[in-house]
Amino acid sequence: MLTILDRIDLAVDPGEFVAILGPSGSGKSTLLGLMAGLDRPTEGQVLVEGAPIQDLSEDALALLRRKAIGFVFQSFQLLENLTARENILLPLELLDDPEAERRTDALLGEVGLAARGHHYPAQLSGGEQQRVALARAFAPRPRILLADEPTGNLDTATGAVILDLLSRLRRESGTTLVLVTHDPSVAALADRSVHLRDGRVDREETAAGAGRR
Amino acid sequence: MRPSRFFRLLRRESRGSRGRLVFFAACLAVGVAAVVAVATLSAGLDRGIRTEARQLLAADLRIEGHSQIPQAVEDLLAAIPGVERTDVREMASVVAAVRAGGEPGRSHLVELKAVGGRYPYYGTLRLEPDRPLDRLLDPEGAVVGPELLARLGLKTGDEVRIGAATFRVRGTVLSEPDRLNVSFTLGPRVLLSMKGLERSGLEAFGSRIERRVLLKLPDGRPPAEIDALATRLRAAVPANRRFEVETFRDARPELREGIRRAASFLNLVALLSLLVGGIGVAQTVRAWIAGRLDAIAVLKCLGMRPREVLALYLGQTVLLGLAGSLCGAMLGVAIALAVPLALRDTLPSFALSTFEPLAAARGIGLGVSVAVVFSLPPLVGLRRVPPSRVLRRDADALSGGRWVGVLVAAVVLLGIFLTAWVQSGRAVLGAGFAAGIVAAAGALALAAAGLSRAVGHLPRRFARVWIRHGLSAVARPGAGTIGAIVALGLGVLVVLGLWLVQQGLGERLRADLPSASPTAFLIDIKPDQWLGVSKLLAEQGATRIESVPVVTARLTAVDGRPVERIAAAGSDDRRHRWVLTREQRLTYLEKLPPGNVVVEGKLWSDPTSPEISIERDFARDLGVSIGSTLTFDVQGVPLRLRVTSLRTVEWKTFGINFFLIVEPGVLERAPQMRVATARLPAGREQAIQDRLAAAFPNVMLLRIREILEKIGAILDRIGLGIRLLGGFTVAAGIAILAGAISAGSARRGREVALLKTLGMTRRGVVLVFSVEYALIGLVAGAIGATGGGVLAWAVLTRGMDTPWSFHPAPYAVALAATVALSVLAGVAASAGALSRRPIDVLRME
Repeated sequence: MLTILDRIDLAVDPGEFVAILGPSGSGKSTLLGLMAGLDRPTEGQVLVEGAPIQDLSEDALALLRRKAIGFVFQSFQLLENLTARENILLPLELLDDPEAERRTDALLGEVGLAARGHHYPAQLSGGEQQRVALARAFAPRPRILLADEPTGNLDTATGAVILDLLSRLRRESGTTLVLVTHDPSVAALADRSVHLRDGRVDREETAAGAGRR
Repeated sequence: MRPSRFFRLLRRESRGSRGRLVFFAACLAVGVAAVVAVATLSAGLDRGIRTEARQLLAADLRIEGHSQIPQAVEDLLAAIPGVERTDVREMASVVAAVRAGGEPGRSHLVELKAVGGRYPYYGTLRLEPDRPLDRLLDPEGAVVGPELLARLGLKTGDEVRIGAATFRVRGTVLSEPDRLNVSFTLGPRVLLSMKGLERSGLEAFGSRIERRVLLKLPDGRPPAEIDALATRLRAAVPANRRFEVETFRDARPELREGIRRAASFLNLVALLSLLVGGIGVAQTVRAWIAGRLDAIAVLKCLGMRPREVLALYLGQTVLLGLAGSLCGAMLGVAIALAVPLALRDTLPSFALSTFEPLAAARGIGLGVSVAVVFSLPPLVGLRRVPPSRVLRRDADALSGGRWVGVLVAAVVLLGIFLTAWVQSGRAVLGAGFAAGIVAAAGALALAAAGLSRAVGHLPRRFARVWIRHGLSAVARPGAGTIGAIVALGLGVLVVLGLWLVQQGLGERLRADLPSASPTAFLIDIKPDQWLGVSKLLAEQGATRIESVPVVTARLTAVDGRPVERIAAAGSDDRRHRWVLTREQRLTYLEKLPPGNVVVEGKLWSDPTSPEISIERDFARDLGVSIGSTLTFDVQGVPLRLRVTSLRTVEWKTFGINFFLIVEPGVLERAPQMRVATARLPAGREQAIQDRLAAAFPNVMLLRIREILEKIGAILDRIGLGIRLLGGFTVAAGIAILAGAISAGSARRGREVALLKTLGMTRRGVVLVFSVEYALIGLVAGAIGATGGGVLAWAVLTRGMDTPWSFHPAPYAVALAATVALSVLAGVAASAGALSRRPIDVLRME
């Protein structure tokens, strides 16, 4: 069997912003998948808010994601057959949120797309799509946000706008953020950076810059 | 999730799949249309018969039998005041034009009907001239079917000979309320008055007179009174006599039973096209889900539970199924409404379809059920879509319980069985049908898989480039070709199979009668006429002239137990009652005719008592064995016979055969007639019939050839309907093929773009596709045609005991047509991919 992650011991505090860095194939995305309960570890434990999740059923994991975890992806992963507004609405509908419509409209305004809510993803630019994805991720007020190279598919200027937006939304909601990137300038925004290499934690850095091994 | 939210999701999710809807709906609609059309037509016929029941009986109540009306019944009828009565006699006979210039006039077999009293009480007797029947029918008058005048070269006002008398044709009869123009008839109608029948003298000879009494109660009597009268009449019929008492309230049960049986068969043929459509549904759903894997992963990632995802897509399937079924139901209703209009001239008056809500509901219900059941296998695969796909496209599928697959397979099988049960109305038939279709589909799938693998191994080095590409397209894994081949192959199997069965039967009917067989029967020959008749036959070149005496009798007791008592005890067993109470025909012979083999006992072996030899199955139905005694009433004289031998009979030879043969020396002096068989020289049949009719007007000549042709014509008509219905299956197969092709249209578009980029012209690409679809058609056609041949062979040789002969032409036509249709459908469905510019497609990567 191929070992993708090996002896990873990583704790993320509530409200913390952790960036995970590493070259291709170092296991960044797999680590993110484990945190979200999208994947299961062959060995070891994943604790979310103190509770182990690796043995939960698919149903229980789905409910956990629904209530506590938001996602942003490199390739946006918007549902092509839903409008921007409906994409944001979807997680709120899953939660049966009575305020779903109002919150969706508010978020559309916050990401600067109030006028484009009725557009389908294919009709939006990459930056706009990622803004919709951000709004969707923050819509159910998740306690944890997992971001997989959110600026990877965007040009530098657009990427900067997205990062600003992400930071602002996170600050306002106090969400814990784990962000996978290979861009050191993105990682520089984080409270802590974790460098992976060949499935192991290579080194950690805090915002102060002091290396922690 | 709240239902309202769920339905909103459902509606949104359908946006991405509107293109699919067309194929999904088409696959289902074809089958549902067939189901609804058959159900609507049969319900319409049943309703029509019930509505027109009085007209179809021409009376309130009818008594029918083959012998004199029992005295008890006559007494009962005489005692009821206010009941109108009409007596009717029906028999077959030969009618001839009057001799002209020394030559005998032309003759024709007819169905004679003598009417004494008002007729009909209900419904319309259409006559030309339009006058009441009793005005036209004086004792010297006859009213005949117009086709008889045409055949005999006569016109109204001319004379015809019927039996011993001459009649003047007073008019023609166009239709009778109680005679269906679609059922089998021996010949045109001839109407006589009762006095006319007496004049003809035929009643004394006719061995097969059907006697009927039509009754009409005074207007306004409650139906219960009619039922009560029928009950009293039935009770008055002695148990050893066979008389049917039927009221208009029974609404021609035999007719409706026939329609019910036919409908149950046609329902299954229709179901077949629906099930074939189910294969298309499964394929469409599979392709649809394959295109939605990313979206499904996102939904799971956003916290949608697996069961919610399943519900979402199952909901979609139900909605699509409903839409397709509704389209199909509308089409089916339209067909059912159009058929009776189009065939107005050949169908009976009661065949008028109306919208039958139940039939439409049945079709829609079956359509949705088939859609859901056949979608289950791909739908349960949704559980295994890994949410981690959002991070890595190549994420492993989640492990799914193996029992789920088994469970789904069981549900599909159960679904097929239940739909077949619903459609045929019989569990056993449903189980047999389900087993058959599963076996056929399994064999087709295996053959398709094997063949596409074999194609993959074909050496391609020598072939042109488009052939090489076409071949590899078929062999490529996951091309969806197996489903298309199975569906198309099933369609070919059904249509060709049914066609071959019908052809096989028709061929048998049209084939020259074996040279050892007679070609004509002669019945109602008086013993003293036989010398003259046989001489006439011999003079006209007839060969193999054979004749035996016939004595009619009634069975009165078996082993001393009166038949009344046995028949009453076993009255629930119709067959048993029939053998006991029918008019028995006895013959006496020293030696058994060819084809008769004694299988038990010994012929004429008891010197102490008169003996009888019985056909084995008939003996079983009678409940007798060697040593039993049978007591007959031979026209008033009791006769006790001992069973000393049981025989088997080869009935297929068209020879004269009897259930009951009596030892010589017992019946010689009883009143009797003779029947004969002969082989008439080809082309002389009509002349011989004309001469016989002139010299012996009571003798009836039945030409076997002519009767077989009539049966063949009816078979042709039925066959056409069945083949049309089978065509629905082919249509479903084509829809599935087109669906499978368009399901792969994204991949196809990429392929076309690549081929074009690499320098292939559009013509070249079309050739590649043509080779691919020709191969699919070839494989489906070959397997389907083989299956159709096997089906026809099994039905003909096992089921119908008919010789099997192989003609390559139908198979070749089926194969060529399948290939052509497949190529057409394939190229048409790929048109979109062909017309796109390669750069657009490649840029999307």
